[in-house]
Amino acid sequence: MGRKKKKQMKPWCWYCNRDFDDEKILIQHQKAKHFKCHICHKKLYTGPGLAIHCMQVHKETIDSVPNAIPGRTDIELEIYGMEGIPEKDMQERRRTLEQKSQDNQKKKSNNQDDSDDDDDDDEAGPSMQQVPAVQPQAGYVAPMAQPGMPPVGGAPGIPPAGYQGMPPMMPGVPPMMHGMPPAMPGMPPAMMPMGGMMPPMMPGMPAIPPGMPPHMAPRPGMPHIAPTPAAGPIPSRPAAPAVQPAVTKPLFPSAAQMGSGVNSNTTGVSSPPADHQSASSQPPFSNMPQAQQSPSGAAASNSLSTSISEAPKATFPAYTQPSVSSSTSSNPSSSTVAKPPATVTSKPATLTTTSATSKLIHPDEDISLEEMKAQLPRYQRLIPRAGQAHAAAAPPVAAVGSIMPPQQGLPPQQPGMRHPMHGQYGAPPQGMPGYMPGGMPPYGQGPPMVPPYQGGPPMGMRPPVMSPAGRY
Amino acid sequence: MSLFGTASSFGTGGTGVFGSTTTDSHNPMKDVEVTSPPDDSISCLAFSPPTMPGNFLIAGSWANDVRCWEVQDNGQTVPKAQQMHTGPVLDVCWSDDGSKVFTASCDKTAKMWDLNSNQAMQIAQHDGPIKSIHWIKAPTYSCVMTGSWDKTLKFWDTRSPNPMMSLQMPERCYCADVVYPMAVVATAERGLIVYQLENQPSEFRRIDSPLKHQHRCVAIFKDKQNKPTGFALGSIEGRVAIHYINPPNPAKDNFTFKCHRSNGTNTTTPQDIYAVNAISFHPVHGTLATVGSDGRFSFWDKDARTKLKTSEQLDQPITACCFNHNGNIFAYASSYDWSKGHEYYNPQKKNYIFLRNAAEELKPRNKK
Repeated sequence: MGRKKKKQMKPWCWYCNRDFDDEKILIQHQKAKHFKCHICHKKLYTGPGLAIHCMQVHKETIDSVPNAIPGRTDIELEIYGMEGIPEKDMQERRRTLEQKSQDNQKKKSNNQDDSDDDDDDDEAGPSMQQVPAVQPQAGYVAPMAQPGMPPVGGAPGIPPAGYQGMPPMMPGVPPMMHGMPPAMPGMPPAMMPMGGMMPPMMPGMPAIPPGMPPHMAPRPGMPHIAPTPAAGPIPSRPAAPAVQPAVTKPLFPSAAQMGSGVNSNTTGVSSPPADHQSASSQPPFSNMPQAQQSPSGAAASNSLSTSISEAPKATFPAYTQPSVSSSTSSNPSSSTVAKPPATVTSKPATLTTTSATSKLIHPDEDISLEEMKAQLPRYQRLIPRAGQAHAAAAPPVAAVGSIMPPQQGLPPQQPGMRHPMHGQYGAPPQGMPGYMPGGMPPYGQGPPMVPPYQGGPPMGMRPPVMSPAGRY
Repeated sequence: MSLFGTASSFGTGGTGVFGSTTTDSHNPMKDVEVTSPPDDSISCLAFSPPTMPGNFLIAGSWANDVRCWEVQDNGQTVPKAQQMHTGPVLDVCWSDDGSKVFTASCDKTAKMWDLNSNQAMQIAQHDGPIKSIHWIKAPTYSCVMTGSWDKTLKFWDTRSPNPMMSLQMPERCYCADVVYPMAVVATAERGLIVYQLENQPSEFRRIDSPLKHQHRCVAIFKDKQNKPTGFALGSIEGRVAIHYINPPNPAKDNFTFKCHRSNGTNTTTPQDIYAVNAISFHPVHGTLATVGSDGRFSFWDKDARTKLKTSEQLDQPITACCFNHNGNIFAYASSYDWSKGHEYYNPQKKNYIFLRNAAEELKPRNKK
């Protein structure tokens, strides 16, 4: 080829070695030929994506990439367009191309006899020469293997350009994860965070793309883009983990600092500088229901927490349509956040449980399920209230050792705990036969407790439980 | 694991209804059924700590009772004892030495149940139902932490009727978890507070919720050095947030994932989104299990960010879950959680607790 352009050669498909004029066409080819599900014909974005899709949707495993030449069928290798191609294959390809171009040149300049010999020489020669030439290029490719570390100079211009190609991939990635939801819904929301991340630039970049690698499959493509511009910030990251042990060791500042720690909380200082970075990225997410959350709590950590949920992308299956979740979530959150915290007894805030694409299986009130259930009269009658003389529960037997006799000092506890009860029971001294003194009154509902027993024996626990009652 | 040889080895143990011949929707995973389950919804499950030999399971239910079973290695469950409250039991926990069980109830009290003597005494009092109870074992003190709907978090020395400490919360406590020296409480109105427990409990940080819906369950996870480093928070909107307390890169390290939803591939019909009722971390592998109102449980690897397994759908929501101390047994309870309101409550429907061999299925996925 000549000059070192990005990728140094025309786009070619790793799976079948075909050449293409344009990377876009290459990608289309890959999607149609190699990443297409043979069962439902859905076009995925990568090999692993296809594997996951087949597994999750059709419960079928595939172990090789369709229509790939032997040796290039690895389903686990994450290749998208020209990204993700293993370095040695790239070198091989370059060598082959060099050979071919040199072959052509020599054929033109030499006669046919020599060309045969030259072919052998050419193979040896170019390979030697190309090694050093390959290195810098390999540097570009290398990041795939070493997440983010090797900065490649001269690449700054590329990543942004390459980045444009990224977004289509990113959204593809999330769907890969679970394979279930269609890629499209995943795309636009995914696009936004990506686009949002770009302006904040380097700091933001490594945050997202490197977030990819931890995903299920290696994402060689991501590190390609990310490390290069983020060469600066990235080296700082290794430093951070080095610091981490010292920082997280106590996990919390020492108790002495707790006071100040708590105070500083109100200023939202407690978060590391990363917060500020993502805080700067807040505007891009403004379409997310962050705005509604700003009233609650520090804005910096606000954007951090919400951007967390949106930005780090669909790692898990089912994290498919962020648009779906945001549409459902934005409504409920507005109804719950905007309204002042309602007390349980008065009208509770309500949720918007139904949206166009999803339905929250939860009653409308925004109180916990337990609170709702506890409001039933069925569960109320046993709760001691002042004046409730469920003392009809004469048979202390049912006490069933539920409360240790006050010998542990329960009576003294009374004053602190059960003033209401006091009145009625005056002085239920220990003497009360079987009556957990003091303790009993509030729980005097012995009989009500009995029914659940169903007579006890079935439990096989009755006997042991009964004896304590007899103890006093 | 010798725990589950064949499902048919149970025979004894009371009313074991295995439904192997009838429709299996109540136990589609064919897991071991615990004998003599409670008669109303099960709110909480807890296995005995490693300090005790054997495995003992405690379950609190809306029938006001707390039941204890011994889970034998062959899979048999033997009911051992029972205690009562005067209101539905919402949470249970063990002391670190395995001799006491603490129970929290809607009757605004918490009790300490001494298993050896089978006596229970009241150790805490709140102005509202107590939703969470945890035992804290610090080098310098030990106490019980109770979180209540009265918006307070109280710490009790079991010998005294007055709390050692009472912390005000912004809202009602909905769920909490404690792994010394960290405690996390999630409250109503999406409140989220982290407490540090060294020397004495104090509020460490109020966190803006990573979730946009009502908080429902929380579980702390530990790092490779076995120190608590973050928590998983579940909401009613079929989503769990993994949140680290001091991550090197919050935007990258913290994330949320969707779970317990229906209609994964089919986008034409509205997706049903279910609440995540409970989250439990495997004590050895660090992977987590979530159970939801959809009647399924799922296992996840938060480091590889992948799902390990999702169960078949049970005919009732799964309301509680927990692992035993060595992670070999996963217990989950099938009962109605009120997610569809009052109309779907059928008091006649049986409640179940299932035990599953968890040693293999929760192994972390190797990160590629």
